[in-house]
Amino acid sequence: MADRLERLINLVIALRETRRPLTAGEIRGRVAGYGQDDPQAFRRMFERDKADLRNLGVPLETAALDAFDDQHGYRIRASAYDLPDIQLEPEELAALALAVQATGLAEEAGAGLLKLEVDAGEPGLGRRPAQAGVEVSLEAPHRASLMRAQITRTPVRFRYRPAGREESERTVEPHALVHRRGRWYLVGHDRDRDDRRAFRLDRIAGAVHEAGPAASFAAPPPANADDVVPVAPASAPAQAEVAAHPDVAWQVARRAGGGGQPAPDGWIRYSVPVGDPERFIAWALEFGADIEVQAPAELRQQMVEWLEHVAAAAGGES
Amino acid sequence: MSAAGRGGRAGAGEASPSRRPSQTLRRLERVLTMVPWLLDHPGVTIDEAAERFGASRDELVEDLDILGYCGLPGYGGGDLIEASIVGDRISVRMADFFRRPLRLSLQEAITLLLAARALASAPGMPESAALDRAASKLSSALGGPAGAGPDLADARVDIDLSAPGDEHLPGLRAAVAEHRVVRLLYRAASTGATSQRDVEPAALIAWAGGWYLQGHCRLAGAERVFRLDRIRELEVTDERLPESRALAPARSPAYQPEGGDLEAVLDLSPQAWWVEEWAVLDSVEPRGEIHRVRLRAAEPDWVARLVLRLGQHVRVISPPDLTERVRRLAAATLHRYR
Repeated sequence: MADRLERLINLVIALRETRRPLTAGEIRGRVAGYGQDDPQAFRRMFERDKADLRNLGVPLETAALDAFDDQHGYRIRASAYDLPDIQLEPEELAALALAVQATGLAEEAGAGLLKLEVDAGEPGLGRRPAQAGVEVSLEAPHRASLMRAQITRTPVRFRYRPAGREESERTVEPHALVHRRGRWYLVGHDRDRDDRRAFRLDRIAGAVHEAGPAASFAAPPPANADDVVPVAPASAPAQAEVAAHPDVAWQVARRAGGGGQPAPDGWIRYSVPVGDPERFIAWALEFGADIEVQAPAELRQQMVEWLEHVAAAAGGES
Repeated sequence: MSAAGRGGRAGAGEASPSRRPSQTLRRLERVLTMVPWLLDHPGVTIDEAAERFGASRDELVEDLDILGYCGLPGYGGGDLIEASIVGDRISVRMADFFRRPLRLSLQEAITLLLAARALASAPGMPESAALDRAASKLSSALGGPAGAGPDLADARVDIDLSAPGDEHLPGLRAAVAEHRVVRLLYRAASTGATSQRDVEPAALIAWAGGWYLQGHCRLAGAERVFRLDRIRELEVTDERLPESRALAPARSPAYQPEGGDLEAVLDLSPQAWWVEEWAVLDSVEPRGEIHRVRLRAAEPDWVARLVLRLGQHVRVISPPDLTERVRRLAAATLHRYR
């Protein structure tokens, strides 16, 4: 391990400090740790080191040695290697460390945070943060790979399983990742349907594949995703008159957006937005006998029929 | 239990897009990040450096030893990095090529941005302004023409953590930070009963579209999770807990089945399939248009209310006791409409 660590550090230094790209042969001859007799063994070792350094984010580039030659060399440009000055203020850095902790992303972001801490002169800050006391679960399959695809404008292909419908394959140009009510959605252009759609990440079945090269579509202007991501019920104009027992009145008041008139027996009467009627009834039934839908009459009747049906199915009087 | 039955489990785990770096690569990452700081801070102690960079003393000493064998090709007198420990103090010189940390990888930058946006979007967080500034500094420093490749400013991540009851977040956040006991007037969804509870708050959790308070409930004498939209009144009391009191590790607000819980079997029509993504179920067995699901719940009334909500889209298969509960609940509710 120590040998390999030493070799990798020496490779980074050599490629960073060279004035022109170094060929594989030059690397073998000059960089400490590569002095193998067997060219095949060298090749395997060098290929693996290159891949690992790139995976770590080291900008190791392949460059032609000159315009007439098809020989290639390698180098690391200092300007691409060096972290630019970001200089977060202590307060910003502390907030970021807290955010990493609260979102449980330390495994993915910890090394990056440490670089910013060094940049700001405070390494280790994120390892001893104040107890955040906040946890935000951002877990979802494919989130990291889809964010990468969105930012690099890479189309993706995956099998999608909508609720209660057949699974099918979709090819999508990712435009945004949207998190609403605890769920992640990919919003993008569905090439098969030629339309803007939202896909729930937890309904993607199996792997997400790249379906083309990076930058193969134009990024649309930033847009509100509420047209495709399902919105919470509460936006419909129709209102219902609901009387609530004092114990639950405050919860009804929340949905009503305040207000409330006294009703008999200490109950309180509210005007509540309905939205989708079935969802409204489901909401109202969560309170059992503690609320009563009084108007409009159709809604009250629907409520009665609903309850009669349940009572009958349960074998009771109705 | 307050959050009984709330469910919707995260999808099956999936390999992260990039392989997890090996031990050696993690160590390389640390060395590349540490050297710039050591260059700027000659004479720091081994212990301080070890603590700041999350390494043991031995690892750190070994890192410095390895650095001493690294340098420019030629590896002669003026080529090697000078890394020495005198007394207990570290000195690193001749490593100007490592004056700056390695640029953030795309993955690191995206993830940091995501963390910042997520917490900033939570209502009532005192860090929001600082996080917005940090995110915009990151986007402008790491995007742009200098960095060949994708531009972080092109990241489109839209997170909205608002949820009913989030008006309690500022008060609760302060209570958690100051270890203050809170007094709740709380309506439990499982029983419909409202009660006053003193809670020693441990954490606030955003989960499955809701906000939850986790803490030790003195009324129940146990760890409990409370959904913020069921808190009718919140009072942050003057009672402060000693900071030394260990806070229980946070756990998911999802219902955890226990022995003695009610076991129910329900047949769901397609209109009721949403329950499968919302509740924690033991099994789902598709039978054509009907899905037969098995679930457990600590509070039988919670299942009865669920059946009431689902109306004609559900049929109770077992137990008979549940059918009876549903009948009574439906009759009592219907009574109001007669």
